[in-house]
Amino acid sequence: MPIPELLQQQNPDGGWSYRRGGSWTEPTVYAVLALAGAGDSAAAERGLQWIRAAQRDDGGWQARPGVGESCWVTSLAALLPAQRLGEERHRRATAWLSATTGMESSVLYRVRQWMMGGQTSSQTTAPGWPWVPGSAAWVIPTSLGILALDRENRLRPVPGLASRIDAGRRFLFNRMCKGGGWNHGSTRALGYESGAYPETTGMALAALRGCHGWQTDQSLAVALRFLDQCRTADALNWLRLGLAAQGRMPEGYRAPPGIAYRTVPEVATSVLADGAVAGKSVFWI
Amino acid sequence: MGGAMTRRDWLTGSAAALVATGCARPVHLTQSEATIVRAPAYDQSLYDIVRRLVASQGAAARGRAVVIKPNLVEFEPESAINTHPLLVHAACEAFRALGASQVTIAEGPGHRRDTLDLAEAAGYFQTIPGFEDCFVDLNLDEVTLVDLPRRFSKLKRVYLPNTVLGAALVVSMPKMKTHHWTGATLSMKNLFGVVPGGVYGWPKNVLHWAGIHESIADLHTVFPRQFTLVDGIVGMEGNGPIQGVSKPMGVLVAGTDPLAVDATCCRLMRIDPTRIGYLRLVAGDPAVFAESNVRQTGEPIAALARPFALIPQFRALRLESGA
Repeated sequence: MPIPELLQQQNPDGGWSYRRGGSWTEPTVYAVLALAGAGDSAAAERGLQWIRAAQRDDGGWQARPGVGESCWVTSLAALLPAQRLGEERHRRATAWLSATTGMESSVLYRVRQWMMGGQTSSQTTAPGWPWVPGSAAWVIPTSLGILALDRENRLRPVPGLASRIDAGRRFLFNRMCKGGGWNHGSTRALGYESGAYPETTGMALAALRGCHGWQTDQSLAVALRFLDQCRTADALNWLRLGLAAQGRMPEGYRAPPGIAYRTVPEVATSVLADGAVAGKSVFWI
Repeated sequence: MGGAMTRRDWLTGSAAALVATGCARPVHLTQSEATIVRAPAYDQSLYDIVRRLVASQGAAARGRAVVIKPNLVEFEPESAINTHPLLVHAACEAFRALGASQVTIAEGPGHRRDTLDLAEAAGYFQTIPGFEDCFVDLNLDEVTLVDLPRRFSKLKRVYLPNTVLGAALVVSMPKMKTHHWTGATLSMKNLFGVVPGGVYGWPKNVLHWAGIHESIADLHTVFPRQFTLVDGIVGMEGNGPIQGVSKPMGVLVAGTDPLAVDATCCRLMRIDPTRIGYLRLVAGDPAVFAESNVRQTGEPIAALARPFALIPQFRALRLESGA
């Protein structure tokens, strides 16, 4: 019963916490997306009011009120329909996202690396998105950034958006683990291979919707293996979303028993994954 | 709390005095001592061992809020990645027996977002009765922006979780492991887990960009005194902290000065602590944590030291005989 659970957990200010306490942007956006999809407009509208009020002057959102810096959750807010969020708010969110990259792909960093005699890795040439500005790009914020911009680009294409999405996808392909799937960021650390994680693999596959080739195929095989051994709600949700995005969700799939849905994003994303598997996704059109 | 000043009160209200004195802290603890005890296995004997360790260190927990901070990293219950749940439970019981008003287990893993699932996979739910009720995910806790009392990195301030800032005593319970960026991960590096992923992301990459050693030293200035209890019963060598190999050591190392405890652990691992960047930064002068300057109690280092395998990049850290 995820929807009643979400309704019960809404804070008096209209937002949601992860489990308890004050409202944060990530759980609030996921809850609004899930409730709006389920047709509960009153609770969703109160959540939307919280989200609208939390937008910062630079167009982005902070992780929670008071933190004082726009960050990766802006991608989530940009997944909200423009007509619900507000056209101007949505436009500014898209602009913030388009302008944000990981530090390792910034001109300043690459020039510094070059001057210090360091090599510019091919992994730095395609800009992804960081968790917070001033740090490197990682798979999760990059995947969410792509999903947000790709959705917008299909609805209202503007110059530069498509190339930013392509660059983000190149980032993901560059960071694919040996054998397929994705870790959080690096494919290797000090010469050792990094292993793939289920949730990041699912998320990247969702962001690579429509991208075909051996890398996608290899990662789909990894995702299908993960799906059979799934132990967490986050992993299950994103594997289902990733496989649905690629049209590869096994028919009649039954989740392993005993998976606990402990946080608001886990509960809400399960609703969104159900929708995606049934052919209706808020993450892509 | 009986009116005891919390770390948050102290940091936000008296930062200037703190910097000036450099020694204010919520509980009185002894300095520069490290105790090594044998603990051959994760079994029931740990409860008595830990109770004696806690009592002998004189941690003033009575009537106060204690936060126990283990090292939870990965979903690998059979590996030596995470602090063992039986040891954490033994610490909880020991501090409750000492009369702590509240004992909270708290952790903010660095790159896995589903903390409770991670704790469950690591055996915490099964081993610690009522675990979910006494656990706080530090990645998602309420936060306060704290000025760093002394700065080693470019960071001036850092958001920290209120659960930890409000504790009278922080008990750091790291795993004794090698680390592929810092050489060794012990009580000071364990503090990366108090930095909230909800604010900084997974991993907390801002700390890496600010300098890993420098950030560890920064955090140490916020928590200069903790009770530290290192899980060295089975440590990790080689490509730690995740992909290394289990290293049975059969020891626990405890103390109230993280510098002394970490230096002692390094010596047990046959790693030269004077070559660990963050220890050098914190101490200023490596002589501060020279073996002769750490009051060693319990078992002697020489009796239990065994070299941890080091990845090629860290072979220079090897403690030479007699060093």
